[in-house]
Amino acid sequence: MLTLILVIFLGGAILTWLGRKINPLLGDLLFLVSVILPATMFVMNIKVGDTIAQHTLLGIDLVWGLSPLAHLFSLVVVGLGVMLSIYSISYMRGKEKVGMYYFSFILSIMAMLGILVSRDWISFFIFWEIMTWSSYLMVILNGKKVQSIGIKYFVFSALGAYSMLMALVIINSQLGSFMLSDTFNNFQHLSPANQILIPVLLLVAFGVKSAVMPLHIWAPDAYSNSPMGYTAVFSGALSKMGVYGLVLVIISMTTQLPAGSLIRIIVAWLGGFTAAAATLWAITQDDGKKLLAWSSIGQLGYIVTGVAIGTPLAMLAAMFLVVVHALFKGSLFMAVGAIEKQTGTTDFKEVNGLIRKMPVTFISSLLSIIALAGIPPLAGFVSKWMLYEALIQNHNYLLVVLLFFASTAAFLYAYKFLHGYFLGQEEPEWAHVKEAPMSMTIPMLLLALTTFVLGTWPQLLFNSIDSAMQYLGYDATNGKLWTDSVLFSQWGDKVALQPVLYAIIAVFLFFAIFLYFKGRKATRYVTTKDISTSGEIPKEWENLTFKVNFMQPFERAIEPFLKRQIEKYYLGFGKGMEALFDFTRRIYTGNGQTYAIYAIVFLALLLIFRVSLFG
Amino acid sequence: MYNDKNSQKIVDIIQNYARKHSLWVLAYGTGCGAIEIAPTMTSRYDAERLGIRGAATPRQADVLLITGYLTVKTVKRVVRVYEQMQDPKYVIGFGSCTINGGMYYDSYNTINLLDRYLPVDVYINGCMPRPEAVIQGFVKLQELISQGKANGAAKYKENLEWYKANQKKIAPKWFERAPEYNW
Amino acid sequence: MEHILIKILGAIATFILAFIVGMTYGGVVRKITARVHNRLGPPFYQNFIDALKLFSKKTAIHHGVMHFLGPAFLMVSSVVSLMFVPVLIPGGDSWYNSWFSNMIYDGDLIFLIYIMVFGSLGMALGAGQTGNPNSSIGITRGLSQMVGYEIPWVLALVSLMLMYKTTSIVDFINVQQETGTWLMFANPFAFIAGLFALMGMFHYSPFDIIGAPAELASGPVSENGGKFLFTMMSSGSVFSFVKLTLFVDIFMGGASNLVVLVIKTFTLYMIPVLYGIVSHRYRTEQAVTFFWKWPLFFGLLAVLYAVL
Repeated sequence: MLTLILVIFLGGAILTWLGRKINPLLGDLLFLVSVILPATMFVMNIKVGDTIAQHTLLGIDLVWGLSPLAHLFSLVVVGLGVMLSIYSISYMRGKEKVGMYYFSFILSIMAMLGILVSRDWISFFIFWEIMTWSSYLMVILNGKKVQSIGIKYFVFSALGAYSMLMALVIINSQLGSFMLSDTFNNFQHLSPANQILIPVLLLVAFGVKSAVMPLHIWAPDAYSNSPMGYTAVFSGALSKMGVYGLVLVIISMTTQLPAGSLIRIIVAWLGGFTAAAATLWAITQDDGKKLLAWSSIGQLGYIVTGVAIGTPLAMLAAMFLVVVHALFKGSLFMAVGAIEKQTGTTDFKEVNGLIRKMPVTFISSLLSIIALAGIPPLAGFVSKWMLYEALIQNHNYLLVVLLFFASTAAFLYAYKFLHGYFLGQEEPEWAHVKEAPMSMTIPMLLLALTTFVLGTWPQLLFNSIDSAMQYLGYDATNGKLWTDSVLFSQWGDKVALQPVLYAIIAVFLFFAIFLYFKGRKATRYVTTKDISTSGEIPKEWENLTFKVNFMQPFERAIEPFLKRQIEKYYLGFGKGMEALFDFTRRIYTGNGQTYAIYAIVFLALLLIFRVSLFG
Repeated sequence: MYNDKNSQKIVDIIQNYARKHSLWVLAYGTGCGAIEIAPTMTSRYDAERLGIRGAATPRQADVLLITGYLTVKTVKRVVRVYEQMQDPKYVIGFGSCTINGGMYYDSYNTINLLDRYLPVDVYINGCMPRPEAVIQGFVKLQELISQGKANGAAKYKENLEWYKANQKKIAPKWFERAPEYNW
Repeated sequence: MEHILIKILGAIATFILAFIVGMTYGGVVRKITARVHNRLGPPFYQNFIDALKLFSKKTAIHHGVMHFLGPAFLMVSSVVSLMFVPVLIPGGDSWYNSWFSNMIYDGDLIFLIYIMVFGSLGMALGAGQTGNPNSSIGITRGLSQMVGYEIPWVLALVSLMLMYKTTSIVDFINVQQETGTWLMFANPFAFIAGLFALMGMFHYSPFDIIGAPAELASGPVSENGGKFLFTMMSSGSVFSFVKLTLFVDIFMGGASNLVVLVIKTFTLYMIPVLYGIVSHRYRTEQAVTFFWKWPLFFGLLAVLYAVL
């Protein structure tokens, strides 16, 4: 069954591509079918189990199964995949290279599910590479800046892939098995050097995908350069594959190490710095795509920190945030896509005052932004609360302050996003803009409403997370850390989410009625030009928008922090490497004599090596 | 609301009491009169003890205080500000210039009588009126409010065409394209 | 059903108390400011008159739905956070004590920190839709400043959480009841850092960059009059009561009856007010980075003190 699902994906991808060549409508239809059909089959038929399908490829066993942890992640992939496929039909209408887009989209959904069902490193690696390549095709799809952005993404992905490959080779040479379970169970039998080396190599591999601090350089450009319909998957689901890998490495490997706690605290701090720095960078962006891309990196920082701390509460928070981040960031990227579709630009400085023209987009963005900022009663708060409680109880007090800083600073870009697109002056230039078609607004509204539901009834998700955590070796958290919709911590602090929601709704309704329903009839709408401008009447062409240098005072305050860009260090490193390669080039003299000497020297070295090593 | 004291309902009495003791002033500082506002508000004469304080924008203001001569150029803006204020609202004309043009009575570009363009509730005479006079003007306005007689805004609405015609006479182009009033 | 009804009545009583106390404090502050300026000043009940006038003022225009909902969001933040702050010591012996036990067992400090910023965002949305550039500038300043003072504030709270292994406000009060020591003496550095943060939260000079009269035309509220301004003013009053009560609960041992509460909160309130009267206004970046210097130092000292 599982094999069939993956084959349907693969075949669907090719058929869609071909169908698109024949007739656009046929392509759209095939695309929907080849995402939704196997996705439904996956959800309906694939139950959690160790070995569901087994194949032999070139003498190597490929074992596919679904662990509870993978099941949690597969929910994200399938949910986002289906929503985004519906969205993409309208989003891509009238654009170029639609067939390629559909092809890569289906392929990366398949690859992600493949990663999740892989129980051995070989198929894991194969699917990982398919995922990387299909996402690479998306990044360069619009053909802009392929040189800088595409190569950056490619280099970092290659770095990740090589380090993973190296880790796999070491694992196989030492343990003689490619199975994931063998690796984790026999981890104790490895030599101490390998016990450090393997997790670090894998951390690099997964850190690239989950955009942890020094490895995040590719992410902002790659996220913002790929089509918005796909960026939601990119940021919501694809980066979560990195988190999935991190969970495997950190929980299943480093807990068995004496030095593991050091690795974990380093990763936790890296996550914290990622969250803080990415948030500051997000504030300085003037493009919605870039802002959300940086914000994604920041949110992934929280997740990485939670995973690295690894207490039950932190793990619960991180896993919850994995799902919730996919929901609200998916919704936000869809909103940006809708705005791009309707107005043709995503620059805050150009487009504004869309609230009355695109109300559904605004409402879903508002809900998602509230979830992103972590304000109750939406789901973002649940994960933030649990994460802070976990960090304080684990005595990571400076880390918690760093994360608090990051999440407070997140209000700035959250407001910048909302103000940039929806609020502010309404200009005649955008008077023609209409709400995006239903197939675009409904998916984003659905995702946003899900965050609302999960914010008060998180137990809907906690059950899945609980079984995933029990699979990883944690105790059951139900009754200890949460009961129904009440959150607990080990210290006995609690938040009861349902009374909170009811209180908020009651007060809100009271004052909304007081202000709105009484005032709405008595008042009439006036345009945003009709404001107190010291008696001046602004002319049609006069622009009262406040958009340029929106956060300038804050940017001035954080100027010293922004000067330190990691990218500069990489560029310096690149320059150094160039010099090195230049030196290496001199070895190739073009003279046959020299090459003969090289060969002899090499053979001699090999001989010496062999003698000294093996006697 | 806009009626005699005899026929005031109890709600009107309470509301008028609040309005009387909480006058937020938008001082439109034209001419030289603005110099008298500072001592009126600060330590020496302390208008705040009567509940009078400054407002930043027309949306929040109750009283439009016009402190001197109005040129054609400024009268456009003053009318716009007045129309952006929300009911109930009052106008105080400050100094001789708002009454008869004062020392600028024969200037080619100032208006002589403010009441032709905006409904003035209280005039404060003098050139310049001292802060004592200004405060007395406010007290007079308070009396009018509590008696329900400070109904300049109602007058403006009733005789809107007349006011608009007067305004258009001095600056036709501006008032042709002026937006609708905001009350 | 009866239980819920009593809860609702208690909540209304708390709201009325917070409204009256907050408004009176606002008036008293105006009076005190006037006395410092050597003026007579308005009567202490001036804010009630202003509120009544704003309430009875007509509003004829609006700029869209968010213009209405912004003040409502603001009120939600104030009232809901009021519900989670213990006004009096829970289980105290005054006869009205049970009125004020609203939802204090349902949330903790971290929750409170987040629900308290809810209002700023709502206000920001309401101000944003009016399209007035001054409003947006004021909002960005306010949010920037929030990032500034949040750091010493969180450091102070985290140090206390570490010392007493709890994040619940009720537990903090109980700790002070049991040991008999106010936390401002148990961890003085946390109190100092918290005090700096409190000054930032109250937006008096030198941190009055949001409204900034004569600079931004009252900033976020510049397009709001009448009922909008009334709602914002009441919300501000309730919110300042919430902040003061929270601070008294955490650092000054809570209050066993209303008289003690009024004395403690008023004394505390005078610190930002009296400092504000005699100081100038900072520029925005100064107001932000101010909190990253000495307050941050005291916050770190507080955490260090808690660890050792």
